Amino acid sequence: MSTSEFLWAYLWVVLLLTLAVSLYGIIARPNMLKKIISLTILGDVVNVMVVFIGYRFTYPVAPPILPSLSKESLSQFVNTAVDPLPQALVITAVVIGMAVNMLLAVLTIQLYRLYGTLDVREIAKRGGEE
Amino acid sequence: MDVVGLTPVIPVIFAFALPLTSIIVKGNRKIIQAYALLGTGLTLISALKLFELVYSSEKPLIYTFGGWTAPIGIIYEVDRTGALIALVTAALMFLIAIYNYRYLEHEEGLEWYYTLYLGLEAGLIGVLLTGDAFNLFVMIEVTSIAAYALVAFYRGRKDAVHAALKYAFIGAIGTTMYFLALGILYGAFGTVNFADLSAKVHGLSFPVTGSPVGNIVIASGVALALATWAFLIKAAIVPNHFWLPEAHPAAPSPISAVLSGLVVNVGVYALIRFLYTVYGGELTPGLAKIVGTLGTVVIALGAVSALFGALMMNAQRDVKKLIAYSTIMHMGYLFMAVGLGTELGLQAALFHIINHAIAKALLFLVAGMFIHAVGSRDINDLAGLGRQMPTATLGLAMATLSLVGIPPFNVFFSKVLLFDALMEKSLALAMVIVVSSVTALVAYMRVFYKIWLGKPVKNVTLKEPVSMGLVVLLLSMAVIVIGLAAPMVLQNYIEPAVAQTVNYKLYIQTALEYALRLKLP
Repeated sequence: MSTSEFLWAYLWVVLLLTLAVSLYGIIARPNMLKKIISLTILGDVVNVMVVFIGYRFTYPVAPPILPSLSKESLSQFVNTAVDPLPQALVITAVVIGMAVNMLLAVLTIQLYRLYGTLDVREIAKRGGEE
Repeated sequence: MDVVGLTPVIPVIFAFALPLTSIIVKGNRKIIQAYALLGTGLTLISALKLFELVYSSEKPLIYTFGGWTAPIGIIYEVDRTGALIALVTAALMFLIAIYNYRYLEHEEGLEWYYTLYLGLEAGLIGVLLTGDAFNLFVMIEVTSIAAYALVAFYRGRKDAVHAALKYAFIGAIGTTMYFLALGILYGAFGTVNFADLSAKVHGLSFPVTGSPVGNIVIASGVALALATWAFLIKAAIVPNHFWLPEAHPAAPSPISAVLSGLVVNVGVYALIRFLYTVYGGELTPGLAKIVGTLGTVVIALGAVSALFGALMMNAQRDVKKLIAYSTIMHMGYLFMAVGLGTELGLQAALFHIINHAIAKALLFLVAGMFIHAVGSRDINDLAGLGRQMPTATLGLAMATLSLVGIPPFNVFFSKVLLFDALMEKSLALAMVIVVSSVTALVAYMRVFYKIWLGKPVKNVTLKEPVSMGLVVLLLSMAVIVIGLAAPMVLQNYIEPAVAQTVNYKLYIQTALEYALRLKLP
């Protein structure tokens, strides 16, 4: 196994472990804020995975920018750049994720104001009664 | 501008311009209401025009954003199924916008409410028109974020905030899984365009994106499993249903109508796109096995949801919670029909989506009229109101009779179609429809009996707001008219739509014509 293959496998193992940790946090932690932190970790793991799907080993590496639309620059682009489309997808997902996380944070603050706690077990016990 | 591109853009523009407009008009409620009616009304006109165009054209319509065609840019590709559901969506959003004004007369923040409302409409229409799996993700998120925030509209109430947080949390997990599915699909096929994906799955050639990489059977299996799970969460199918009975009742009643009638359809529609357009028709044995397994799982979960929803309806005291469980039941029917993978199954699903959207919206709006009058959601507090509110009671009778499937009303005909479609598979599945309908009938009759003949808790004189009554009457009319004209609707609208959606080759061909115009050096 070459060094690059080892690093590649190592990265995927680390990503899957982080995924497992974030799922554990979402399911098992009783604190709502911890759950949200775990959710953001899950989102980040998925984003990094998608970036890795578009990655490939090339040397020398150049940024995925096409200076002009001609045969030479296109062939140079294909030889030196990684696939830029997953990065574009991830940028969009990051922006959407920010919106969702902000909404979740606002709702959590409101939940704390109303219940005085963020422990979901305690909140479930009290229910939605006024 | 093309009407395909215009339809989702109108509500987006109206939504973004509303906070500024509200500052200019100093929060005048009448102007804001008129503005919202204008926004939803223009969208309705545009959706109607789109509907006419799509039904008069043989091929799906395409709009290319910025002139970039299929595999390079994002395109909107509208077939008849999408246009039909979009028309129903736009019409219901317009009618519910009329209803909103009196329902929210005592609430602050009408401008923010309508900003989210128009955003929700933009997301819904975007989901129905898009021809790109990644744009579908974005539009699902636009719909969802607006829906989460609207559930928490009564931000001082414990149940609303709690339900919204639960809904948002579980929804965010679902869309994250869908995003991962997209990454895997892109890794295997090199594209996220529906037409291009479908071409690759069926072994047809498509320019620019090359050929699939690696084992597409495993990649498709993982991606489909993740995506379907996300759609099951969005459509609240057991075991992912637990957010719905809290979130839908906690929202203001018009929003409950939108959520139960329209937003849950997003999951069903997205699954239809994946199972019928991308993985439809003839497949290689490996892929056919995966799609077959997925169909079986979806049918089983749908059947469980239908029975579970019907049973839980009988255990509720909160009238809106009861209706919310009925939504779980009807979503179960839809997933059973979609999982069949047959043309008849898709016809039944499409007709039921439309009928359920109208009848369920009507039922929530009627419940909203009673709740608006009394200020409580408990069935016992609503007792005896029926005689003082004749329009609402009429609407309640229509909606409940329709939803359980009593003959001249619309849902009866789609239930018959569902029964026929499931009968082709097995008798036991078809009986699920009958058993759950009877169980639901018992629950509805209890509500109706209480409201019509029950003893009033306290003597109050009630008035029905005219605008709310008008919307309820219109929707009641729609329930009867679609029911009486069911054979005509089926023949003229449902069958052509399904014939076009099942024909994935036409879908690919239409996108391909645009893609071939690309000139690369």
